[in-house]
Amino acid sequence: MAELRLRIQRFNPTTDSKPRFEEFTVQQKEGMTVLDAILQARDYVDHSIGVRFSCRMASCGSCGMKINGHPKLACYTQIRELGTDTVTVQPMDNFPIIRDLATDLAGFFEKHREVIPHIVRSDEQEMDNPAREFVMSPEELESILQFTYCIKCGLCTSSCPTSATDSLYLGPQALAQAYRYTMDVRDEGGQERMKILDEAHGVFNCHYAGTCSAVCPKGVDPALGIQLLKRHVMSAKPPRRKGEGAKLWVGEKK
Amino acid sequence: MEDAGEMKAKARAANKRGVMGWLNPIHYNLERWAYVFQRVTGVVILLYVLGHIGDTSFFVGGPLGTGPSQASWAFMSSIVENVVGHLILVLVATVVVFHGMNGIRLILSEYGLIFEKPSRIEYPYRAKGLRAIQRHMIWAAIILAIVAALWSGSILFG
Amino acid sequence: MRETRLMQLQYATALLALVLVGLHLLMQGVLVPYGVAVSFQQLLLTYRNWVDGSLLEILLIVVLAHGFNGARTILVEWKQGKRWTSLANWGCLALALISIAYGTRTVILAVFGSAS
Repeated sequence: MAELRLRIQRFNPTTDSKPRFEEFTVQQKEGMTVLDAILQARDYVDHSIGVRFSCRMASCGSCGMKINGHPKLACYTQIRELGTDTVTVQPMDNFPIIRDLATDLAGFFEKHREVIPHIVRSDEQEMDNPAREFVMSPEELESILQFTYCIKCGLCTSSCPTSATDSLYLGPQALAQAYRYTMDVRDEGGQERMKILDEAHGVFNCHYAGTCSAVCPKGVDPALGIQLLKRHVMSAKPPRRKGEGAKLWVGEKK
Repeated sequence: MEDAGEMKAKARAANKRGVMGWLNPIHYNLERWAYVFQRVTGVVILLYVLGHIGDTSFFVGGPLGTGPSQASWAFMSSIVENVVGHLILVLVATVVVFHGMNGIRLILSEYGLIFEKPSRIEYPYRAKGLRAIQRHMIWAAIILAIVAALWSGSILFG
Repeated sequence: MRETRLMQLQYATALLALVLVGLHLLMQGVLVPYGVAVSFQQLLLTYRNWVDGSLLEILLIVVLAHGFNGARTILVEWKQGKRWTSLANWGCLALALISIAYGTRTVILAVFGSAS
């Protein structure tokens, strides 16, 4: 197979004044991914290449980066699908660079926490002494299922035009998760979340550019979730749905 | 105080794409292009409207006028009624139609009225938020804008 | 609720603007030939017709409200910080009111001013 010309953006903010590209020649193998190529360069040529990765199977969300200008997961992108022998990798936009291809996601996780990303129940007794399961029908699960697939890779936020300039914007990941939890029939935290979403730099700073959904590797489709969420924010109350709150065990009367 | 070099270095480390993230839709989806044009046309229209409020005030004699004045209006007409002025009007008509039609699509989308319900997804993932009727509405907006350009062009230059 | 209200205002002014701008464009070149529509005599008739004059005034307010709210959104997304955000919010409101006032002055003088 042809040799691959791998261009990696190198930048260490503590020592360099500006980024530069370094080129590495990589021996291509059948089924090689971009991550494989970067690791070959790191393991055999320059051990100082900074790259974050873990599962190698698009499950952990660690290896998000720009590959030939497109935000993608490096482990999930085969060299062959790029259709070229020159591959340029750069860190994801809109996240501070730690070194080379590794970016700082601390702020990103902070924004995720702001939208109360867990099931909120009002009855503490129920939480301490649960008597039964929450029953969630298959239809109710399907209404949120795709949004639960988020692996927090950050590719959506890196491609969002609002996140490109607005450091206070919650971002497509947090907003999609706000939708996921608000629409979950077991959740009673909708009102609290509405307050957060209705602030400046909240849900209305999404202008439906849709790139988040275009780049999401797990099919979460945050743009869809956010547009559906806007309607609920505007109606100033959480969505009505069948079986308000948790349902009791099937057949039992409340 | 930070000097320019330090500020630049900080900005590079922060790695925000900046305003080019708003303006550059290359490599991205159709809706992103629509977003760029919606934003740009919005600014263009606002600037035009401000200029238009200025030029129409010459009907009443301009900023210092007191009432309808044929002389003042003739003066303004001599400035705006020419090829360049008419080209600007054609451009404005075009962008106004695009902005409006795309805006209808945005209003319907942001009220969640034109989307299929979320459901179980299968690989390869094709985002519902990027299909649906809203994509056709973007093309409709573009086509109507071209129609507006041709129509206004025929009126002003015909 | 503030952001929601601002967004609902943006949608409401958008829909009104669609109708009024559409009407304005039609009146200024399709229903009335362009050359006639921008002539001094026709403009005098238009401004002094209560319906047409009122529609122009409403168009002015609606378009400027929509436009400056949009500009405000763009500015607030561009830079963050208390001072900048205040400047953007109040500045856009001020510019909108000033522009509406100047445009309204044109309408009032056209209707009530003395022709010359």
